[in-house]
Amino acid sequence: MMDTIRRNKNIAAGALCACLLIAAGLVYGDAGKVFPAARTKVITIGVFSDSYWEVQNGYSYHILEDAIAAFEQKYPDARVEYTSGIMKADYSEWLSEQILSGKTPDLFFVLPEDFNTLVDVGVLKNLSSFIERDASFDEEQFYLAAYQCGQFEGQQYSLPYECAPKLMFMNKSILYREGIEIPAEDWTWEDFYDICRQVTKDTDGNGLADQFGVVGYTWQDAFDSNGIELFSQDGTSCNFTGSNVEAAIAFTADLDSLNSTVIPTTRDFDLGNVAFQPMSFSEHRAYKAYPLSVKKYSGFEWGCIPMPAGPDGDNRSTLDTLLIAMNGETKNSAYAWEFLKLLVCDTRIQSEIFEYSEGVSPLREVTESDETLERLIEDAGDSSTLNQSILGAAVENAVVAPRFRNYDDALAEVDRAVNDIVNGDTKIGTGMLMWDRTINRKLKNRT
Amino acid sequence: MSRKELSDSVLIIMKNLNLVIILYIAAIIAYSLQGYVQEGASLEFLSSINRIPMTAWKLPVMMICLYGSILLLMYINHINGAVLLVKVCMEIAISLFISYILGFSYTGLILLILADTIRHFLKSKWQYAFAVLVCCFYLMIDFELFSLYLDIVPLETYLQYFQSDVRLILLGIRNILSSLNTFGFLIYMILLMSMQTKEQQRILTLNEELNAANIELQRVTVQLEEYARESEKIAQTRERNRLAREIHDTLGHALTGIITGIEACVVLMDEAPEATKMQLTAIAEVARQGVKDVRRSVSALRPDALEKFDLEDALLRTVTEMRSATNVQIDYECSAKLDNFSEDEEDIIYRIVQESITNSIRHGKAEHIWIRIGREYNLLKIYIRDNGTGCKDVKKGFGLHHMEERLNMLNGSLFYDGTEGFIIEAQIPIRWGKGGDSDD
Repeated sequence: MMDTIRRNKNIAAGALCACLLIAAGLVYGDAGKVFPAARTKVITIGVFSDSYWEVQNGYSYHILEDAIAAFEQKYPDARVEYTSGIMKADYSEWLSEQILSGKTPDLFFVLPEDFNTLVDVGVLKNLSSFIERDASFDEEQFYLAAYQCGQFEGQQYSLPYECAPKLMFMNKSILYREGIEIPAEDWTWEDFYDICRQVTKDTDGNGLADQFGVVGYTWQDAFDSNGIELFSQDGTSCNFTGSNVEAAIAFTADLDSLNSTVIPTTRDFDLGNVAFQPMSFSEHRAYKAYPLSVKKYSGFEWGCIPMPAGPDGDNRSTLDTLLIAMNGETKNSAYAWEFLKLLVCDTRIQSEIFEYSEGVSPLREVTESDETLERLIEDAGDSSTLNQSILGAAVENAVVAPRFRNYDDALAEVDRAVNDIVNGDTKIGTGMLMWDRTINRKLKNRT
Repeated sequence: MSRKELSDSVLIIMKNLNLVIILYIAAIIAYSLQGYVQEGASLEFLSSINRIPMTAWKLPVMMICLYGSILLLMYINHINGAVLLVKVCMEIAISLFISYILGFSYTGLILLILADTIRHFLKSKWQYAFAVLVCCFYLMIDFELFSLYLDIVPLETYLQYFQSDVRLILLGIRNILSSLNTFGFLIYMILLMSMQTKEQQRILTLNEELNAANIELQRVTVQLEEYARESEKIAQTRERNRLAREIHDTLGHALTGIITGIEACVVLMDEAPEATKMQLTAIAEVARQGVKDVRRSVSALRPDALEKFDLEDALLRTVTEMRSATNVQIDYECSAKLDNFSEDEEDIIYRIVQESITNSIRHGKAEHIWIRIGREYNLLKIYIRDNGTGCKDVKKGFGLHHMEERLNMLNGSLFYDGTEGFIIEAQIPIRWGKGGDSDD
């Protein structure tokens, strides 16, 4: 008798316990994911209202709305929603809040500087399995560098939506005036330095230089074009002692030394007093698109070519890429994947980038199409300013920075090192050795 | 309050304390998360962690569910073997999960589980193995160790939200509560240990007592055996005496009668041959009776007269027989009812009367014998007097001696006096109820 009561009590306790555990499991695993709503599938997407390229173009949600319309037509039971009015400057914070509040959108744009943190925190869904399963998805259609921007430790966590390579803008008027030949697409540091040296001069005779060679060329540009892989892929070590590093630092120092009296600013380039300025492709398009900008450049003739190649490198530069990623906890991963594909792979949607945005489509087919060429020529008004093959090559050959957490911190550290070496009294080689130890120690401690 | 009750209440306190601690930490985490979001510091927070924390509201709910399930598991009792093992493993797993969610900022739950479970293992040989295992767990659950392999957001990261003084107070409270839990665990274990020692001591004392009782029992057994031997001897002696008495009573009585009768015949033979003839016939009857008596004695050792008749009849018959066999005048008077005596009492009464007559005729050469049997209160009095020679110096012959012996067995008493004839007075307590007439 007692035994039966005991047993019944135990069974009751066990059953209650199981209920509580199931409840805990549902809360932990998000009940909505276990029992998804049967009817309409709502996909949320996190997006910012202004252009990624820091330009107000009035078309903020145009491409997205087109994509949503196409998607909802194809899948009548699905709906796409987004919160409008979030500025790019506030976007990272807004996204973080959504993540911490458990309201992460199913899809969201990822700014390159946030990508590493988001992957590391585990918000992003690993898309590799989708890519493997989906026969209609061809990774070859993307420019490799753009595609690799969405990778972390070999896994695809996001896909490129639009990108912009860094190109060298040149003031052709100055070159013509100084009788200098327009450099070829495969020009080198030597050519670059020679031209800079030739154009730097005092034209009005007041004793201060007022025509300059280059503005905004950083050690990073030199490193990228000299084949330097500064950090290991996992970010635990830094190769700061190579001869190519020394050459790049020496080159940066040489360029700096040309402007010993007056340091030019980007304003000087706008005024037509500087021969070269490295600039993102999107910047040039933005400038060209506005009457205001046209006016800005009206005083000179301009063109753009790839960045100059170092002795150990190529005509390469970085690629600025806006990514789209999927929420790792999404309840509608299948629909989210379809919408993501529509945004990044659909040629119609992607070609709108050249119409309503300032970036470049990461799709080869779109960027290298005749339609795009026409639109670019229409923008530039002159086919000689931008050769379409230059654009394609720049994207294709772009340098993909390693993906690891605290990349920005590590980069800041190297920046400090280069500035210290360039401006300091020690010899470059010695300074490099010293800084190599410091940086590597910091990298190891950080991970 | 007994130690058991005390330890039970310590366990209950520990259970409540753990709930408070867990909810306290969950509240800190939830509050700081909420704070980061509201103050627009989410990005900064997100970049300082390496996994997304649980949404603020989920944390306390999860804690209550998980802790509740642990409490329910603890409620399951009276199980053993594999079921118990599964139960304990589940408890440990859930507590590890709770610790994990709380960023391993609190691991005292393991102590609660150890305290609760050690009860089941108290009397098992696995007791120490289990305790060691759980202690290892407790030592291993450490944030630094786990953070090597798991993505954990430490409590310190959440605490960064608070100002430094508030942070210290919050941490201090956490530490105090956690220490209290450890303290409770210590007290519990001490109580449990002392309970166990007490139990062992009790068993020890009981054992000692049992041993002493055993020795005593052995001693008593030996004694009893001795008693048994002795009483066997006594019984033998008693039986031997009884046999002697029987022989004396039956055979002696008959022979005395015969001798007296024959002596009378010798005197009478020439003067009254007819009377002698009759006398001899009577003697023959006595002899026959004697033979019968002997036979009966041999077979049942019981007076034959009593076999066939009740006591009154038997006495009357003996008196009549003796009268006719010996020419001695015997006055017999019985005023008490004699039909309620037990067999041994009847035997003795009968024997006393028979023996006294025999004695009077054989030793006292009496010619007149008075026999009176009566009741006085609860005593039966047998009074026998003769007019024989008596006996100044009474030697307890076989007869008197046996009479006395037998009376003593019934708590009775015997008086005799041989100065003027011979007087015998026997008193036997009447054991049966108040029936029968009193003879005042």
